[in-house]
Amino acid sequence: MSEYTEYTEYIVRPCTLVWLILILLTVFAFVVGELELGGITIIATILLSTLIKGQMVADYFMGLHRVRWRWRIIMYSWLLLVTGLIGFAYSLGLK
Amino acid sequence: MVNSISPPQRDLPGDFAIWIFIFAELLVFGIFFVAYAFARSYNVELFNASQSTLTREFGAINTVVLITSRFFVVRAVAAIKNNSSQICVNWLGAAIFMGAIFLFIKIIEFHEKFSEGITLSTNTFYMFYLSLTFFHFMHVILGMVILAAILFKARQGGYSAKDHTGVETGASYWHMVDLVWIILFSLIYIIR
Repeated sequence: MSEYTEYTEYIVRPCTLVWLILILLTVFAFVVGELELGGITIIATILLSTLIKGQMVADYFMGLHRVRWRWRIIMYSWLLLVTGLIGFAYSLGLK
Repeated sequence: MVNSISPPQRDLPGDFAIWIFIFAELLVFGIFFVAYAFARSYNVELFNASQSTLTREFGAINTVVLITSRFFVVRAVAAIKNNSSQICVNWLGAAIFMGAIFLFIKIIEFHEKFSEGITLSTNTFYMFYLSLTFFHFMHVILGMVILAAILFKARQGGYSAKDHTGVETGASYWHMVDLVWIILFSLIYIIR
C-alpha cells in the first residue's frame, strides 16, 4: 500500500477541487476582463486571484506543500515579487 | 489503512537539475512580466487600446485548457505512484492532447494578428505580446516533447511506484509552463 493514502478519504480528490477553484478564478478574471474594468481595486483583485492561483498550482500541482521551506520560499518569493512589482507598476500608470 | 499523519517534509519532486532550470526560467519570465508592466505605465492609453484588440476568449479558453492539462499530469503522477503504468500513459496522452489544443488555438490567434499586419514593430504592446506569447509557445512545445518522451518510457514499463523520478521531473516542468501562463493571461489579456 502506498505510504500516503489519505486522499482515499475524500469524495472529491483535493487535486480535483484545486482544478475546479482554478477554473472558477479564471472565469472570474475573464468576466472582469470582458467588463473592461480598471482601477486600483480591480487590479488588486485580479493580481490577488492570480497570486492565489499560482500558490495553488505550486502547492498542490507541483507538490511543493510537502517540500522543505527553503525550496518553497523561492517559489513564494517569486510569485509575491512578480505580482507585487506588476501591481506597483500599474499603480504608477493610474496617476 | 488511512495514514492521517502529515507526511514528512521532503526535497523537491523529480530531478533536482530540472528545478535549477525551472527557477532560471521563472526568473526570465518574471523579468519579462515586470518589464511589460513598467513599459505600460509610460503609455497606458496605447496598451489599453491594443489590449482591446486581443481575442480574450482565446486567452481564457487556453487558460482552462492548460489548467486541465496540468490536472491530467497530476493524475498521471498519482497513477504511477500507484504502480499503474497504463493509467499513467492514458493521463499523459490526455495532457499532451490538451497541450496540442493550446498550440492550435494559439496558432489561430497568431494567424489572426499576422493577417491584420501586426508585427513586433507595430507598437510596444505588440512587441511584448508577440514575444512573450511566442516565448511561452516554445516552452509548451518543449513541455509536450518531454511529456511524450515520458509517455513512451512509461508505455514500455520504464517507471514504477518505486522509480518514478522521470515522471515527476517532466510534470514539474509542465506545471512551470502553466504557472507562467496564469500570470501571462492576467497581465496581457485582463488587467487594464
